[in-house]
Amino acid sequence: MIEVRNLHFAYDGREVLKGIDFAMGRELVALVGPNGSGKTTFAKHLNGLLKPVKGKVLVDGMDTKEHTVAELSRVVGYVFQNPEHMFFEETVFDEVAFGPRNLGIEGEELRKRVEWALKAVNMKGYESRSPYSLSGGEKQRLAIACILAMKPKYLILDEPTTGLDARSERSVVNVLKSLREMGHGILLITHDMGLVLELAERVVLIHGGEKVFDGPVTDFFSLPLTNYGLSKPELLNLAEETGVGFVRTVEELVGALEVKLR
Amino acid sequence: MMYTFYLEKDSFLHSLDPRTKIIGSLSAMVAVLLFNHPAVMTALFLLILIAGRVLGKVEIGEQLKFLKPLLPLVILTIALWPLIYRPRTLGLLFGASFALRLLTLGLITILLLATTRQRELIRGFVKLGLPYELGLTVSIGLRYIPTLYILANNIMDAQKSRGWEVEKGNILVRLRKMSAVLIPLIVASLRTAHELSIALETRAFGASKKRTFLRDIKMRRRDYVALILILLLLGTAVYLRYSLGVGYVRIYG
Repeated sequence: MIEVRNLHFAYDGREVLKGIDFAMGRELVALVGPNGSGKTTFAKHLNGLLKPVKGKVLVDGMDTKEHTVAELSRVVGYVFQNPEHMFFEETVFDEVAFGPRNLGIEGEELRKRVEWALKAVNMKGYESRSPYSLSGGEKQRLAIACILAMKPKYLILDEPTTGLDARSERSVVNVLKSLREMGHGILLITHDMGLVLELAERVVLIHGGEKVFDGPVTDFFSLPLTNYGLSKPELLNLAEETGVGFVRTVEELVGALEVKLR
Repeated sequence: MMYTFYLEKDSFLHSLDPRTKIIGSLSAMVAVLLFNHPAVMTALFLLILIAGRVLGKVEIGEQLKFLKPLLPLVILTIALWPLIYRPRTLGLLFGASFALRLLTLGLITILLLATTRQRELIRGFVKLGLPYELGLTVSIGLRYIPTLYILANNIMDAQKSRGWEVEKGNILVRLRKMSAVLIPLIVASLRTAHELSIALETRAFGASKKRTFLRDIKMRRRDYVALILILLLLGTAVYLRYSLGVGYVRIYG
């Protein structure tokens, strides 16, 4: 359980987070909000990269103020927006092994973890490649594997599909789905409302440093989203226009329409 | 967050011609290098700090904040001198003195950048006879210091999230550990430099030999007055140091 109580944070005296309460377990929560709303600042509190000015962040009962980021990394994994900001090893294997090695894992166990993490992101066989030689989608998946190999219970992903082409995006989405099936709690920061519709169980909307919505994805899409610089996916508009109501995928919409027309 | 050094303010220093400020900064640096007595260094540091506040309207706190990245070097300087110089108390004094000199040099640079827009700075350098490319290179270099600082922090955060801790281990282990930050930083810097060069070329940089400027700079009366004052002060400093021997202590022999 990640628990956030009355979280306040300020950069150089400018208040960025104004008292946020939040809790999540093993679920997929989408964290949305316009640019500069405080999403990343909020997320960086969950693994202790930032410490609250006021309020508390508890990760499985551990106060982030009393633990280092390295200690917390066993429980909360943070996949940064730009994968290249973390790559420095010569091979994919060593890159994935870096995190577990920092946690003191060696030998057979280390090899197993790396293998498992690479398999989880569909990158078996890439072990001896250079991280810098990969495509955009592969880099993003490798970044996820690097964190996954540390076996955290929770994963925070900062815009993992931004700048990817459709096929690479699918590959990342599939990884997210299988991580969810494996029982990870996932916090997904994204601007892609299609992705929110497809993946999220719950949505948290941050606006101007305050949490303005926290609830199931169905309720989220009935909010006046344009007020927050967001927009509804076309799929949902079409479903509403045709009187179907809430759907998550094109297949669901087609199915519902077929039933309706019969 | 800090992206540039320039602070938009309505002050005397802001209103001066960049050439005056460049010459002033260089003179101040020379003056700082003339002396090495701890008391004189302290006085010079405070003098520049107050000058920045009074003439440039840059808050003392802001000035000190800009100096924060120099802290490791300052600590190293103060710690190393007593180790290699005897008597140790004197070494400590010299250490403090050189640390202050470093801080003062940093402060002078920062005040120049905080009170001068980048384009004016380039214009100033060019008018002083430097080739435009050099002026541009210098100012791009300065412009990217804060950017690299932010980037380095970001990379460190990413590696910390992978259980990386720089605090652990002896100095060799720590140096090797730094590669986890230095390699991504160098790669990102090279990439940025490459993109910047493409951006410059798409905007026809270097297409014609003769550049024109939208805003020209002009020396006004206050600039000449300031220049005379600067040269008088520098002259006084040289006189104090070489004719009267004030503020300088022989360190060796």
